[in-house]
Amino acid sequence: MKLRMDIQKRFGVFHLNADFKIEGDRIGIFGPSGSGKSTLMGILAGLHCPDEGVIEINGETIFDSRRGINIAVPFRRIGMVFQRPHLFPHLTVKRNLLYGYRRCPAENRRITVESLISALEIGHLLDRGVANLSGGERQRVAIGRAVLSNPRILVMDEPLTGLDDNLKFQIIPYLKNACETSGIPYLFISHSQVETRIMTDRVLTLEEGRVTGQMSGEELARSRMKDHIAGYINLLKLRRVRDSHGMAVYHWGDRELFLSSADDHPEAIFELSSAEIILCKQRPESISARNILRCRVADVFETGRRLGVELAFGKERLIAEIVRQAAEDLDIRKGKKIYAVIKASAFRKLR
Amino acid sequence: MLKKSFAREKTFANKDPLIRYITILLSHGTGPFCRNSWAAEHINQVSPMKAISRASLFLFITLLSAVPARAADINLSIAASLKVVVTELSNDFASMKPSVSFRRNIGGSGALAKQIENGAPCDVLFSANQEWADYLIDKKLGDTGAATAFAFNELVFVGRPGLKAASLEDVAGLKKIAIGSPKIVPAGEYALEAFKKANLDRKLKDKLVMANDVWNCLMYAERGEVDGAFVYRTDAAIMGKNVNILFVVPQTLYKRITYIMALTKTGAAKKEASAFYTFMQSARAKKVLLKYGFAVK
Amino acid sequence: MPMFGFGPSDYSAIALSVKVAVTATLLSLPFAFAVAYLMTFQRFRGKIVLDGIVNLPLTLPPVVVGYLLLLLLGRNGWIGRTILQPLGIEIIFTWKAAVIATAVVGFPLMVRSIRIGMETIDRGLIQASRTLGAGRLDTVTTVILPLSLRGIVAGSVLMFARGLGEFGATIIVAGNIPGVTQTIPLAIYEYASSPRGDIMAMALCGVSIAISVIVLVFHEWIGRRMDRVG
Repeated sequence: MKLRMDIQKRFGVFHLNADFKIEGDRIGIFGPSGSGKSTLMGILAGLHCPDEGVIEINGETIFDSRRGINIAVPFRRIGMVFQRPHLFPHLTVKRNLLYGYRRCPAENRRITVESLISALEIGHLLDRGVANLSGGERQRVAIGRAVLSNPRILVMDEPLTGLDDNLKFQIIPYLKNACETSGIPYLFISHSQVETRIMTDRVLTLEEGRVTGQMSGEELARSRMKDHIAGYINLLKLRRVRDSHGMAVYHWGDRELFLSSADDHPEAIFELSSAEIILCKQRPESISARNILRCRVADVFETGRRLGVELAFGKERLIAEIVRQAAEDLDIRKGKKIYAVIKASAFRKLR
Repeated sequence: MLKKSFAREKTFANKDPLIRYITILLSHGTGPFCRNSWAAEHINQVSPMKAISRASLFLFITLLSAVPARAADINLSIAASLKVVVTELSNDFASMKPSVSFRRNIGGSGALAKQIENGAPCDVLFSANQEWADYLIDKKLGDTGAATAFAFNELVFVGRPGLKAASLEDVAGLKKIAIGSPKIVPAGEYALEAFKKANLDRKLKDKLVMANDVWNCLMYAERGEVDGAFVYRTDAAIMGKNVNILFVVPQTLYKRITYIMALTKTGAAKKEASAFYTFMQSARAKKVLLKYGFAVK
Repeated sequence: MPMFGFGPSDYSAIALSVKVAVTATLLSLPFAFAVAYLMTFQRFRGKIVLDGIVNLPLTLPPVVVGYLLLLLLGRNGWIGRTILQPLGIEIIFTWKAAVIATAVVGFPLMVRSIRIGMETIDRGLIQASRTLGAGRLDTVTTVILPLSLRGIVAGSVLMFARGLGEFGATIIVAGNIPGVTQTIPLAIYEYASSPRGDIMAMALCGVSIAISVIVLVFHEWIGRRMDRVG
């Protein structure tokens, strides 16, 4: 999908001035609260009208203030998942889901209702009213409804923001599932790096109404490292194998990790902050940390006043951060073999 | 000369009759008209607290501003069609006896009688028909000795100047006629009586429009909503340029329209009220009545 | 309720009142809905003027409203002269005039109720429906209308009740013709104006109250049913 926007809009003091071209099927829009992300997407969908500008999708102009083109919202076919689900209270779940589907001409329907319902696991909710659904269920229905309208792009405006952590990362697989099943490109708005990294390939950054850059999710996380206490959040996909001495043992790539907090699921994603990884020149002995892994320094980069070190564990990668002095002391260079020390309690489960 | 009494309405003499009626409505508020706004009061929905405090405030102000009735206050209840003439005569009387002041209550004869029955202060009742005056006497509110027919009226038919109608038979050939609603307006009752006596009641039944009062009748006639209307001769004096008296309904067809003036028990006890009662039967008063088109004994 | 001595004209007054009130309510519904929609969801210049016009019947005495309608619809009125007369349509002094008078007087009540209902609708729902492919009319019928139902029912009940009691405007523009335009309030007024008509007046009052109670109970019942489905 190719998106080009060049628009201006003023609301009182706030001035939105976005000029960019972006390509891809999983695009993120990242920025702090109040930076204009929702407004920008609202303009894309046609819910707000810019003062002037151009919007093109895959070469087709849907808005051009100079030529007087302004395609109405229902005809832009841009599906939206809002921050709050906005499910129709007077319709059942099934009717909600089919609302957009019914309004899409048969020849444009590319998604089968059944496959999406099973991807989102909402089959058992179909005949219920929407009032008594849990937060997660509501969001899933909202996603299903938007996807079933067969839009050419799906815009998701911080769909996970209102949910608590557990729920958030439960929904992410559903989201990915739904979008992969339907093959619809999406724009994912968020102010969370982790979410953005998981959901998107390319990210547009927005700050105070202006587009400040385009990069991959990885690059975004790295560039923001210095702004976070937790630095870079490593995401590890782990597979549980057995228990040992009160700890759970997980497989990671070709290594084994010992974790103190277990998860019931056999496979799970865990967070590991870059600040929690200690580097050692030699293998430490008699140390309380249970995870001592040999690795190779793949890259060293600057991040504010500290240094980010990309470590290679076979095919897997982790990023640690250390102060400059430590790097000098340990003579950290690309290619150097080194030991990474991680406490069993340092891992936090996402799902 | 007639115009002089309508001093208030003088400024509207040239305006559309409709506007005149509306102004009269809003400024005088006679009995039936007052009642018409009862429905408007239905809409006022106020919370109980507010209603109570508003009511108390209103009461307070009313009590403060209530002027204690002086002995020389005379309360008059006047039927609508007598309003103008009785007002002028009472003003005359008041100019002769400066200590006297009048409180005038205008309305339909029935409404007035009911008000008196329910305690409204009244010394002299001017009723447009005998029935209501008798009603009060029945209820022991009127002084049997002090009730007299002091004026008479005639029923006329009014319509557009060119209209060909010189008798009741002619009227039976028209399309729509307005009369006052018989149960509410005495003039309408008289008209109905005349139709019956002339054997035209069945023919006329479907053509009748029952108006709230004679003012409305005149208004319908002036605006052309009806071909003509049956009103009192004295009401016809208020008309604009659009209608004329086309004929007088023969007196043989209906009981003579008699205006009763009656002293109530409270009125009989008041010296000034009795004096006014006598004044109203004097030659001077009769001259004024004749001027307005009433007939006298 | 003892039916003491109701004559044919009384029964026709009751039937006529109900007929006029129901017709006026049904007639006003689409217009009231449209006006309420405009006032709630559209921004335009002169909104305040429209609001003022719609609320005018509330501020004027009903008799004046009646006169104004006469001005419009009478033989020499604007509409009367230009449209009604040429087409041979008679409105004044027929039950249709009673319907129009009732509709005009009750209109602001209905609009107000519907507006209150509409204002509680989450705008996000409307945005959602547009992005799902619903055009304006579609959104109105499938989202706004169902969600305003409570306000619509409340407004209808108000209008009906007001219509049962409508007197001032009706008597001017429809006259007081027994069997044709004499509604309950007019009949009550007639009885109350006669020396011995008090009892009949009270009886008719009773009927009016009974009808209102029935309508109110019905309104409650509908409200409860709608809550259950939602």
